[in-house]
Amino acid sequence: MSDVVLEARGVTKRYGANVALKNVTFQVRRGAVNVLIGENGAGKSTLMRLLAGVETADAGEIWMEGRQLAMRSPRDAEAAGIAIVHQELAVLENLDLSENIFAGRELVRSAVLIDCDGQDVRSEAALKELHKPLKLRSLAGTLSLGNRQLVEVARSLAHGAKVLILDEPTSALSVAESTSLFSVIGELKRRGVAIVYISHRLHELLELGDHFTVMRDGRIVGQGERAEVDRQWIVERMSGRDLEREPERPAKQTTCEPRFEVQGIATNGADRTAVRDVAFTVGAGEIVGVYGLLGSGRTELLEALAGLDAMTAGEVRISGDAVCVDSVADAISAGIALVPEDRQRDGLVPELSIRENISLASLPDFARRGWLRRRAEAARVREIAAQMHIAARDLEAKVTTLSGGNQQKVVLARCLMRRPRVLLLDEPTRGVDVGAKAEIYRLLRELSAKGLSVLFATSEIEEARTLADRVLVMVQGALVAEFDAATMTDEALFAAASPAVEGPR
Amino acid sequence: MSDGNRSRFAAVALLLLKLRAVLVLLILLVAFSILTPSFLTANNLSILAKHVSINAILAIGMTFAILAGGIDLSVGSVAGLAGMVAGGLLTVRIGGHTVGVVWVVFAALLVSCGVGLLNGLLVSRIGVAPFIATLGTLYIARGTALLISNGKTFPNLGGTATSGSTGFSVIGQSFVLGVPLPVWMMIVIAALASAIALRTPFGRHVYAVGGNERAARLAGIRVGRVKLLTYCFSGFCAGLVGLIIASQLESAHPATGESFELNAIAAVVLGGTSLMGGRGSVRGSLIGAFVIGVLADGLVMMGVSEFWQIVIKGLVIVLAVTVDQVQTKVEARMAPAALGESIAKVAV
Repeated sequence: MSDVVLEARGVTKRYGANVALKNVTFQVRRGAVNVLIGENGAGKSTLMRLLAGVETADAGEIWMEGRQLAMRSPRDAEAAGIAIVHQELAVLENLDLSENIFAGRELVRSAVLIDCDGQDVRSEAALKELHKPLKLRSLAGTLSLGNRQLVEVARSLAHGAKVLILDEPTSALSVAESTSLFSVIGELKRRGVAIVYISHRLHELLELGDHFTVMRDGRIVGQGERAEVDRQWIVERMSGRDLEREPERPAKQTTCEPRFEVQGIATNGADRTAVRDVAFTVGAGEIVGVYGLLGSGRTELLEALAGLDAMTAGEVRISGDAVCVDSVADAISAGIALVPEDRQRDGLVPELSIRENISLASLPDFARRGWLRRRAEAARVREIAAQMHIAARDLEAKVTTLSGGNQQKVVLARCLMRRPRVLLLDEPTRGVDVGAKAEIYRLLRELSAKGLSVLFATSEIEEARTLADRVLVMVQGALVAEFDAATMTDEALFAAASPAVEGPR
Repeated sequence: MSDGNRSRFAAVALLLLKLRAVLVLLILLVAFSILTPSFLTANNLSILAKHVSINAILAIGMTFAILAGGIDLSVGSVAGLAGMVAGGLLTVRIGGHTVGVVWVVFAALLVSCGVGLLNGLLVSRIGVAPFIATLGTLYIARGTALLISNGKTFPNLGGTATSGSTGFSVIGQSFVLGVPLPVWMMIVIAALASAIALRTPFGRHVYAVGGNERAARLAGIRVGRVKLLTYCFSGFCAGLVGLIIASQLESAHPATGESFELNAIAAVVLGGTSLMGGRGSVRGSLIGAFVIGVLADGLVMMGVSEFWQIVIKGLVIVLAVTVDQVQTKVEARMAPAALGESIAKVAV
C-alpha cells in the first residue's frame, strides 16, 4: 500500500530469556491515526522504542518511505522524521518554550552562538500550527501538563516529523485538555502526519482511530479498520480470553465476615491522582481486585492504606477495630502489609542477601535483648522460602541473582513473615514469567483459604478475572463499579474502567 | 582453561579482591619491616597503634553514617570542640572548686552527641543533603571551638594534686596490660560496632536504609530514626577522639582535628565501604585506618619527604576506589551464572 510511511517488518526483541516481541510486522499510514492497543507487557512500548531508535531489534527491519533505516540511536529516528512523545513528559522545566523546542538541536549562527531569533520564529510557527497561543518566553515548568505535551508536539513539528508517536497522551490530562489535544491530532492528520496513538481508553480510540492494531504477549493478535472495529472486537482480542486455558476457579465459600473495612478514604494527591471517598470491605479469606487504568488512583489507594501516603479523611478497621495507618510502621503493626508495584524501586535492597531481604521487616521478632538470633532467623527464612518455592541455590547470595518471579516471591515472603491479616498487592505479577505468575496466584489462593484478606490492584483484565473473587473498578480516584468475578464479562469491566470524556457513558 | 578452572580462578580472584585491604596491610608491614629495622619493635608498634586509634575511632563512627547512605564531614570539628569543652571546664573554677574529670568527660561527649543529633535532625527531619548539613555543622562546631577560648589554647590540663583536678591525662596516656588506653578504646568500640552492625536489628536496618531507602521504609523501618542514631554515634566517636588528643597533649587547641574527616573517609573507603551506602563493614574501616597509619609512619621512618607522603596517600585512595569498581564489575559478571543455575534448578 502506498500510504504506508513507516513499517516494522518481522521485528523480534529479547530481554534475556524473555521475548518481548515475536516477529511483529506493523504498518503506520500517512495522514491517519494508527491505534495500538494492548495490556501492560503486551509489547507496545517495546515496539515504540524500536521505532524511535531507543533500542535496537534483535531481528527484523524498519523501513521508512521505501528505504531501510539503520536504527542505532534516537538520532537516526529523528533524522528520518520519527518523533515520540513519551507518557512521562520530557520537557526541561527550567528552560523556556523556544529553548525546549530546540533543546539538543539548537540553531547556530557564527559557528558557536545560538540563533535565538531563528529559533523563536520557527517555534512560533510550530505553536501557531497547533493553534496554541503560548508565550515563547514562559518557562516550561510553569505550564499545565496538557500544554507541556503540546510543547513536545510542537517540538516534533518544528523538526519536520512525519511520524508522531503518542504514548498514552491523555492519561494525565483533564477533559478540556484532552479535547484540545484531539483537535490538534485532527489538524496534524490533515497535514499528512502519521500518528501512532497508544491508549487504554476505548472511547478515545474509537473516536480518533483509523487503523487498529491489538497486541498481546509480544504478538499482533488483531488488525482492523475503523468500520469493522467496535468495543467488543477490541476487548476480545486484548484480554485473549482463551477457554481452553481458563484456570479452574476453586468454588468459594462466600460466607466470610468483613475483616478489612475502609470508609470514606481520601488523599489530596498533589501531582498524583487523588483518592476520593473510597469505601469497601474485604472479608477474611476473600481476594478482592481493584481494577483501573493508568491514573485511576489504584496505586494511590493502596499506598494510603499501607501508610506510605497520608490520608486526609477516612477510617480503616480490621476485625471491627479502628486502626491507625499514619505511617508504614503503624500499618504493619496493625497487620497490613503492601507488596509494591515496582519491586526494584520499592521492594528489594540489592546489596543484601536473599535471607536478609526476606527477614527485613521481621527483625525485631528475632531479637533477644537487642541481639539478633541469627540461627532462628535463618531457620525461619529457610522455612518460608521452601513454602513459597523460591528457587535459590543459596539464600546467602545477593537477591539480585534471582529471576523476576523469584524476586517478587522474596518481597511477598517478607510481607508474609509478619503474618499480616490484610495483604495488599500492587500489580502482583508485573514483570514475572508465566510459571511464576501461576505459582503466585496459587499461593495467594492458599493464603486466602487460610483466612488472609487479600486486596490487589491490577491493570490487567485477565489478572482481575483470574485471581479475584470480587472486582472493584476505580476511575479517577473513585470507586465506580463492583463485579462478582464469576459472573462479570471482560467488556463490562473494561467499559466501567474507561472514564467518560463527555456526556453519559 | 576448562570451565571449572575458570570459575575457580574467578572465585579466587574475587576473594583476593575482597581481601585486598588485608593484603595491602600485610605487604606494607612486611615491606617496612625489611626497609627500616626499627619498624617492627614493640615500642614503635605501640606508638603506631596509638596514632591509628584516633583515625580508626573516627572511621568507625563514619562507617555507620556512610552505610546508611549519608556522610559526616563534621567529625574533625567535633573532635576539636570536644577538646575545647573539656579544656574550658577543666580550667574554670566554680565557687573556687574545679569540675570533676568525670563530669568534664561526660559534658564533652554530650556536646559531641548533640552535634551529631543536630546533623541527624537536619538530615532526617528537614531533609537536608548529608553533605551540606554536616558541612554546615563542620563550620559551626569549629567556630564554637574558637569562641570558647577566643582562639587561645587551654594549657596544663594535667591539673595539680593540690587542686584535686588530676586524672584527665589518664584517657590518652595510661596503659592497660602494656597497651595504651586509646588502643583499648579502639578495640572495644570496633568490636562493639562490628557486633551492632552484623548482629542487631539496628545494624541490619542501617544497611537496608543505605541500600534502598524506599524499600526500607516500606518494610516498616523507621528510616529517620536509623539515620539520626548513625549521626549521634559518629558524633560520640568524634568527641572521644577529641578527648584522647586533649588528654595526650594535656592541652586543648581550637584547631585540633582539622581535615580529620578526610582521613576518616579515606579509611572507610579503603576498607571497601561504598560511598553510595548499603555495602561495607566496620572491620574494613579498621583495616583501612591501619593501612593509612602504617603507610604514614613507615614513610616517615624511611625519611620520605612529607610532601611525597601526601601524594602517596592520595594515590593509594585512588587505587583503592579503582579496584573497588573492578570488584563490582567482576561480581556483576559472575551474577548471571548464579541466575542461570537457579533457572536450571526451576526447570528440573
